[in-house]
Amino acid sequence: MKISLNWLKKYVNVTIPDNELIRLIGARLVEVEGVIDESHKYDNIYVVRVEKAEKIPDTHLTLCQINVGKPELIEVVCGAPNVHEGMLAAWIAPGAIVPASVHQDAPFVIGQRKMLGKYISNGMLAGADELDFSDKHDKIVEIDPEMAKPGDLLADVFDLNDLILEIENKSLTHRPDTFGIIGFAREVAGILGEKFNEPEFLTHEEVFPEGFLIKTTSGLESKDSKIDVEIVDAEICPRYTAAVLKIDDAMSQEKYLSKMQVLLAKSGMMTVSRIVDITNYIMLLTGQPLHAFDYDKFLNLTGGKAKIIIRKAKAGEKIILLDDKEIECNENDILITANDIPVALAGAMGGKNTEIDATTKHVLLESASFSLYNLRKTQMAHGIFSEAITRFTKGVPAGGTFNVLAEAIKEMRGKPLVLADKYPGLKKVDVVKIQPEEINGLLGTNYAEKRIIDTLRNVSFEVEKNDNTLTVIAPFWRTDIHIKEDVIEEIGRLLGYDNIPLTLPMHATAEKNPMFELKRRIRDCMDKHGANELLTYSFVSENLLNKAGQDATNSYRIINSISPELQYVRQSIVPSLLDKTYLNEKLPVEQFAIYEINKVYRKEWGKNDEGVPEERMSMGLVVAERKNTGTAFYKAKLYVEAILEQFGINVEYVVPKCLQAEAKPFEPQRAADIVLDGEKIGIVGEFKNTVKNEFKLAPFVAGFELDLDRVLEKVNYSKKIDFEEKKTEDLTITTSKSYSDALKEVQTKYPEAKISPVYIYQAEDQKDRNITFRLETKCK
Amino acid sequence: MEYMEQDKISELKKALNKLNAEYAKIRDIPSDKRGEFGRKLNQEKQNILDQIKASEDAKINQEVEPIDVTAFSANNEAMPEFYPADLGSKHPLMTELDQVIEIYQMMGFDVMESRQLDDEFHMFDSLNFVKEHPARDGYDTFRTEEGLIPPAHTSTMQHRVLKKYKHNLDEGKAISVVVPGRVFRNEDVDATHEHTFYQCEGVYVSKTCTMGDMLGILREFFEKYYGQKLNIRTQPGYFPFTEPSLEFMIEKPKTLGGKKGDYLEMLGCGMIHPNVLKMAGIDPTVYHGFAWGGGIDRLVMLKYGLGDVRFFESGNLNFLREF
Repeated sequence: MKISLNWLKKYVNVTIPDNELIRLIGARLVEVEGVIDESHKYDNIYVVRVEKAEKIPDTHLTLCQINVGKPELIEVVCGAPNVHEGMLAAWIAPGAIVPASVHQDAPFVIGQRKMLGKYISNGMLAGADELDFSDKHDKIVEIDPEMAKPGDLLADVFDLNDLILEIENKSLTHRPDTFGIIGFAREVAGILGEKFNEPEFLTHEEVFPEGFLIKTTSGLESKDSKIDVEIVDAEICPRYTAAVLKIDDAMSQEKYLSKMQVLLAKSGMMTVSRIVDITNYIMLLTGQPLHAFDYDKFLNLTGGKAKIIIRKAKAGEKIILLDDKEIECNENDILITANDIPVALAGAMGGKNTEIDATTKHVLLESASFSLYNLRKTQMAHGIFSEAITRFTKGVPAGGTFNVLAEAIKEMRGKPLVLADKYPGLKKVDVVKIQPEEINGLLGTNYAEKRIIDTLRNVSFEVEKNDNTLTVIAPFWRTDIHIKEDVIEEIGRLLGYDNIPLTLPMHATAEKNPMFELKRRIRDCMDKHGANELLTYSFVSENLLNKAGQDATNSYRIINSISPELQYVRQSIVPSLLDKTYLNEKLPVEQFAIYEINKVYRKEWGKNDEGVPEERMSMGLVVAERKNTGTAFYKAKLYVEAILEQFGINVEYVVPKCLQAEAKPFEPQRAADIVLDGEKIGIVGEFKNTVKNEFKLAPFVAGFELDLDRVLEKVNYSKKIDFEEKKTEDLTITTSKSYSDALKEVQTKYPEAKISPVYIYQAEDQKDRNITFRLETKCK
Repeated sequence: MEYMEQDKISELKKALNKLNAEYAKIRDIPSDKRGEFGRKLNQEKQNILDQIKASEDAKINQEVEPIDVTAFSANNEAMPEFYPADLGSKHPLMTELDQVIEIYQMMGFDVMESRQLDDEFHMFDSLNFVKEHPARDGYDTFRTEEGLIPPAHTSTMQHRVLKKYKHNLDEGKAISVVVPGRVFRNEDVDATHEHTFYQCEGVYVSKTCTMGDMLGILREFFEKYYGQKLNIRTQPGYFPFTEPSLEFMIEKPKTLGGKKGDYLEMLGCGMIHPNVLKMAGIDPTVYHGFAWGGGIDRLVMLKYGLGDVRFFESGNLNFLREF
C-alpha cells in the first residue's frame, strides 16, 4: 500500500519534520518498507495557456504559441488531437525531466528541438501518461481554469511535491481500518497526540433526505422503488448495501485533470473512467472497496427483475470476469448474482456481463462486507490480487458499508433512485471494562488516567469512567478489539512502546539442560580430535533412503515438499553424512571425520504420551580418507571410544544383526553393535560394498551412529585423578581368541593392572595371532 | 556362499533369456489381448531383474573379509590415531546457539530444546490461531501425510513450556525458559532464505511481570551478547499468540561496524495472549507473561559478515574448517 504524506496531512495536523513523522509511523503503527521522494519530480513543469494553435499541413502536428505567464509567447509543437486555443495545459519546460521517467535508469530530459526542418519546439505539452498519472497515451491534459492560471507551477496546483510511503501490508493484516487514508490518519493523530476530526460522513446517520428510506424487518430500503437483496448466508456476507444512480454526461466524463486522478496515481492506481475512479478513490479514502455494475445490463439478465442474490458458488460454475478471463468457481467462492445469474466474484472482480462503459445510463453501486476467510481462499484459488481483495481479506468491517456508499453517491454528484441495505450479520459490540492499574501493570508504565482516556477517545473509542473502572467501546471499524489486552495494546502503542522504562525482574537460578551439556562436551571432544561438525537437512530423498538400504515407508513423508530431494523425514544421521562424504572427497581435502548431532524420527517408534511422534537425539560420524588402504573400522571405533571414555561408559562390541534402520548401510562382517549393559545404543563399522558404490565412496570409509538419549542415561562426568608413579610392561600372547576374550584372560591374571592394546600380529600362514598388551601397575 | 550366488545369477539369467524369447509370441496373440500379455511379461521380467540385482548386490557384499570387531587395531596395522586437532571445527550455528543459551542461563532461564516434528495443536491451536485464519498460511508450513508439521517456529513449544513449568508458579517462582531449535519453512532457498534454520524462543510468566521487564531482559541479553551498551527500538507487530505484539530492534553494535541510527531487526516479541495461558491451565487474571523468538542464523551471518545462508547446511569442509 502507498500512502501520500500530503494526502495524510489533509486529515491530521502534523507539526514535526517528515523524517520524524515517518520514524514514528514505523515505531507505532506499521512497517514502512520504503519512502519514494517525489519532492522534485514535477520541477519546471508549468500551467500554460495555448494562445494560438495552427495545424501543420500534412502532419498530425499542431504549432502552438503558449503563454507561460510572461509577456512573450513560446513556440511548442504538439501532436495530441485535443490541443486547442484557449485551453490550459501542462508544459514541461526545456531542461526538465519527464516525470514518468524519473525513476528509470535513464530519465528523459526534455530539450529544445527542431522539427520538420523549420519549427522550433521548446519543451512539450504533457499527457497524463508523461506526468505519470495514467498509462493511456491519447491526449494532453487539460487544466480547469478555475484552479490555475498561466505560469503557475503544476506541483503547487496539484500538491505534487510529496513523499510516498510504501507500507508492508502484512504488518497490518489485523487492521482493515488503516487500509484507507482516513483510518491511517486517525492512527497518526493518535500517535502524535493531535486531535482527530472524524469525517462526519463516517458516523452520521441521516445522510439522505427525510422519508427517502424506510426501515423494514431486514434492513433499510428506499420508499418508492426497491431492489430485493437476498443474502443466503450471513457468515459469508454480513452486510450488503446497494444503490442505483442515474448517470448523466457530466458524471461520466471528466474534462479536466482532477486532484482525484492525481491521488489515485500517487496511491499506485491508474485512472479508468470517472465512475470507476470515484469508487477507487472512496476505497483509498475509507478502506471500503466498492463495485459499480451497469444496472441496465443487470436488468437485461434478469428480464427486468431487480433482485440481487449473494450466495456461495456451485462447484464448476463459470463466470467471465472484467479482465476477460473465464474462471471456474469452487464451493468456497462467493458470487453476486442477478436473480441467480453470476455478475461478480464477490470481493475479487466484477463480471464482464455487467461492465460499465461509455453508454452506461444507470449504475448499481455495491458496498458490502464479505467473509475474509472465503475471500482469502478465493484469492489463492484464482490468483487475484487486486486492491479491493487485498482489503477484503483483512476483514472489511460491516458497520461502514452504508455511510461509505452514501459518500460515494455524494462524490458522484448523483441522487440515488433506489437503495437497499441488508445487515443480517450485525454483531453485539464488545464492551471492555478495564482499570488504569491493569494497563500500567502490564506495560510497566505509570500513565495517568486522564492521558489514557484522552488517547483512546482521540482514536474514536467511547470511554466512560465509573469509580476506578473504564468502560471502553471501540468504534465499528475496530473489529480487532475484544479483550483487555487489546485496549492495553492501544495505549502502549499510541503512547510509544519506546517510552516504557526498561526493568529487569528478579530471577531464580537456572538448571542446566543435561542434553545440551552432553552435546557441548561431545563437540569439544570431537573438535580436539580433529573432527568437523556438520549440519545437514532433516529431510532426505527417497533415493537417499534407498541407497542407504532404509525403508522409505518407515519415514514420515512431507506432502508439500520443495523438491523430491526433501521429501522424507530422516531416520538416522549417517546417510546424510555419506551424501556429504562424496562432496568432500571432490574437494582438496585428503582426510576427514565429519559428524552431526540432530533429531531423528521413525514411524515404527510410534507416538509419545502427547500423541506426537517419538524422537531421538542421534549422533552420526563418518571418517574417510582418499589414499589410506588400511582398515577404516578401527578409526571410527577410536572416535566412539573417545566419546564414551570421557563419560565413564564401558561398552561391548558385538557382531551386529543390522536389522534397525540406522544399521542398514553397515556391513555386518565389518561392523559391531555398541552394547551398553545389554542394550544396543548404536553401531560402528564400515559400509556395505553396495552402499559404497551407490554413494561413490573412497575405499577407506567407516562411521558410527550413536543414540545420545541412551548415552545420557549412563553418563558420569566425574573423573578419577591418578598421578601415582607407575611401571609399564608389554605382554604378548599367542591366541586364536578374539581380542576381547584374550583381554579377559589377561585381566584375570593381572587384576591390578590397567591394560591397553599395543599391536596385533598375524603371520601369513598362521591361524593364531600374537596380541600385545601394555600393562600399567602401581609401583609398590 | 559366493558360488551359490553366482549359480543363482546364472539361473536367473537363463530364465530371463527364456522370457525374452516369449515376447516373440505376441504376434500370435489376438490384438485385444496383446496389452495384457505384454504387461504380464514386463512384470515377470522386472521381477527377474530385481532378483538378479539382489543377488548381484549380495555377491558384491559377500566379497568382504570379517574382522575382529572387539579389537582396537587390525592385524599387522598400527593403532589408529585421531586427526590433528587443528583440522577440527564446530559448526558456527551450534557454537552461537551455545553462547546464546549460556547468556540466558546466566540470566536465570532454563533450556528446553524444540521438537522437529510436531502437530497442528502445538503449532497453531494452542497459540490462539483461529481455525482458517490467514495467519496460518503466513507460516508456509510443511506437512506430512499424517498432518504432522515440521514446526515453522519455536513457539510450537510454548504450550509445553507453560505446562511443564507451571509448578514454578505454584511455588511462587516465575516460569523462565528458552527454547532453541531447528525450524522449517516451505520457501525457495536463495542467499538470504533457507527452508531450514535455527531459532531461540523465550517464555517468561509471573504475577507481576511487565512489558518493561520484557524489553529490559531483551536489551540485557543483547548487551551481554555484544559486550556493549545498546539502544533499542520497537515496532508494533502482529502475532496471534501475543497481545500486544512487537518487533524488537537494536542499534547496530560497533563490532558489526554499526553507525548511529542503523537499526537491526532482531526478533518478534509480545505479552502472551490470555488464551494461550488459559489453554495451558494458567489463570490469566492472576498471571501474565511475555515471549519472544528470533533467528540464530542471522546472528552468525552478521558476526562473520557472511552473505550466503546456504553455506550452513552445505556440509562443505572448506567453509566449515574456517570455524
